[in-house]
Amino acid sequence: MVDRNLLDIVMMVEIALLVLAVGVFFAHGLWLFVTQKRFLRDMTAARDSLARLLTRGTINVEEIETLRRIPRDAQVAAFLEASRNLTGAGKERLRFVAREVSVLERARKLCESRLWTRRLRGARVLARMDVADPIVEKLLADPNPAVRAQAAEWAATHPSPSVISIMLTMLADPATQARFAVQDALLRMGATIADPLASFLETHSGSPAESGLRVAESLAETRFLAAALRHSASEDVGVRSAAANLLGAIGGAAAAARLTELLKDSDSLVRAAAAHGLGRMQHWPAASQLAECLRDSTWRVRRDAGLALRAIGAPGALFLRRALKGNDPFAADMSQQVLDLPAAAAG
Amino acid sequence: MEGMLPIVSQILVKGQLLVLLYFLGVNSWYLVLLFSSLLEMRRHMLLIADESRHLLLSSTLSPTISILAPAFNEEATIEGSLRALLALRYPRLEVIVISDGSKDETLQVLVERFDLVPVKTIYEKRIKTKPVRNLYRSSTYPSLVVVDKENGGKADALNVGLSFARGELVCAMDADTLIEGDGLQRMVRPFLYATDVVATGGTIRVVNGSEVKFGRIVRTRVTTNALAGIQVVEYLRAFLFGRLGWNRLGGNIIISGAFGLFRRESVLSAGGYLRDTVGEDMELVLRLKRLSYEQGSPGKIAFVPDPVAWTEVPESMRVLGRQRDRWHRGLADVLWRHRRMLLNPRYGVTGLFVFPYYVLVELLAPVIEAAGLVTLAVGLILGIIDWRFAALFCLTAYGLGTALTAFTLILEDISFHRYDTFRDRALLFWWALLENLGYRQMTVYWRLRGLWKFLLGRKDWGTMERKGFQKPVGIVETN
Repeated sequence: MVDRNLLDIVMMVEIALLVLAVGVFFAHGLWLFVTQKRFLRDMTAARDSLARLLTRGTINVEEIETLRRIPRDAQVAAFLEASRNLTGAGKERLRFVAREVSVLERARKLCESRLWTRRLRGARVLARMDVADPIVEKLLADPNPAVRAQAAEWAATHPSPSVISIMLTMLADPATQARFAVQDALLRMGATIADPLASFLETHSGSPAESGLRVAESLAETRFLAAALRHSASEDVGVRSAAANLLGAIGGAAAAARLTELLKDSDSLVRAAAAHGLGRMQHWPAASQLAECLRDSTWRVRRDAGLALRAIGAPGALFLRRALKGNDPFAADMSQQVLDLPAAAAG
Repeated sequence: MEGMLPIVSQILVKGQLLVLLYFLGVNSWYLVLLFSSLLEMRRHMLLIADESRHLLLSSTLSPTISILAPAFNEEATIEGSLRALLALRYPRLEVIVISDGSKDETLQVLVERFDLVPVKTIYEKRIKTKPVRNLYRSSTYPSLVVVDKENGGKADALNVGLSFARGELVCAMDADTLIEGDGLQRMVRPFLYATDVVATGGTIRVVNGSEVKFGRIVRTRVTTNALAGIQVVEYLRAFLFGRLGWNRLGGNIIISGAFGLFRRESVLSAGGYLRDTVGEDMELVLRLKRLSYEQGSPGKIAFVPDPVAWTEVPESMRVLGRQRDRWHRGLADVLWRHRRMLLNPRYGVTGLFVFPYYVLVELLAPVIEAAGLVTLAVGLILGIIDWRFAALFCLTAYGLGTALTAFTLILEDISFHRYDTFRDRALLFWWALLENLGYRQMTVYWRLRGLWKFLLGRKDWGTMERKGFQKPVGIVETN
């Protein structure tokens, strides 16, 4: 029924596969054992050498030579490890040593590679070592999103006008990974980006504007007021809600007036953001409009309106108690829940 | 009677050939999956090399994660498990323990050890669940919330957790699962990298045999218990080449119920976990996938290989049998519920490719394998099938499988190499060899039993006996 030869062939193939698998499995284990042992030894030597170079007053040329002789992978690992714990003068000295042993030069070369994986590795080394190098700035326009994201991470500590300008245009990056890194880096740059961001918000709309508004919310500067007011009338729900959040963070009469109008927005996300913003500002003149929102068809709007009324204080509490006796069961229920909250949870 | 013999002989021979072809096809597909997972693993390892996750750890933009940990009669293990959860390194974390009507001292242990105080909160009850009795917050751990509710099963407990969760993402897990310290940081990445990701899952590994201290794995070792050891190999194969391979082919539809991360709003919009199924985790993932197709975008289900959670696997045949029976019932139930996806072009690659694979390879495999084994035995007894054919059958069905499993071990070794001693390697290989000699046939029987129970409409969970990670405590969990 089955040819003996076929059986032999199948058996031979399977035995060969198994032997190959076993061979590779154990050979790899052995290789790992040897290389890891060697790596640990090299790493210890690199750490010791680096520690001596960083702590002694003058840079010892012989020590640099010792470090240079250590295999590259252990060298780089030791530099990256040390970079985590150093700032200021210590990090400057680390960079000096890295330059001397060509770690930075090699990272720079990696950044120019045609392979994105190498560019990523190069950018990671330069970012972790905090090196102000124009080559990383170029990587902000890299075709690979992972590389762009890594370059954006680097940019957080190098907020030059050109970098900020590129970073702001990257708020429209189609890759979410890069966008997240850009938003985060902009936030880390702090007040330096306020003016360029305000100009950016004046001239952009849609998803880039939404990302920009979210960054601006964390800075909460009055410079963003005009842009926030303009974007609060956007057709895009995400932009309107981000603008409402920004208005709540900025505060002031104009913001409060616009937020009160937004309580009647067609989208529940915007209404909730407006209620939250008014509560954040403790804007008591809007209490009656917030009380209206307790009857909203969306739970989230009712909750944010209730919490805003509670945040407002006595006038808000009055409206909440009135809603308890009203004819709307949803408003009454939400008011009851908000009034039952312990003081710490009301915010 | 004599006239019947040629017909029986024909049926047996043709049946055997069909089964042989089936195994050849399945193993060839596994080979494709293995290559796919190799490529995916290489790309992943390059992406994470030298990655510093400080961006996530310190960013105000990182999404909040709420861990949902249902607990039922877990008084012996709950403290250790919870302390490990609270020690996870993730910046914006909320831990919600849902005591699902525990009859033992679970709640008291929590109240005493974590300084719980009753609180009130506002929450939206979008999913109908069993009543909540009380809500507690810890005065020493601000991120801890404990919900005490009436017993309603794991799905019901998770649904309650979903209502109370504040995070954009929720991590569904079993209360006795140990997540590695940076597991969440690793698992959240796909959500930051793409907007259409609805769920991600990490790797589950077997804790049996390893050394656990204070809710942390301090030494990874392969167990010497045969049953648990074979499951170590099984889990490695399922996660490292099964799910990872499907990742690249765009077709993951399983996230382990013990460690999965979901977009909270997506889960709530989909109606939460189904209560009347024993495969609630797979059902939810498939429903999320189906709904995303129906709403116009194939939401991604991403498997990430490096976040690891450790779980204890059964060491007794009885308990393992019940678990496998339940898993197969769950699979059958879920595939039946979503049967309209089968070969439906509306559901893209999932409907045309992944769903049929799950029906043909995962669901019907025990039926085909059992039929193959029975006809082989009958054929040999009647002298219709010769020993060469039987040998070819075994080589195709089991020999190739063993070779593929051995390659999975290599995949683990070149990527994460968690088992680094010669002893562990030898044991892993030994268990891989033994898997096909009895164990696999037992799983065929258990899965057939599960299928039969599904046909009878049985939906019970059975019992799971656990030793506990640190000391041998017998815990019985029944939902």
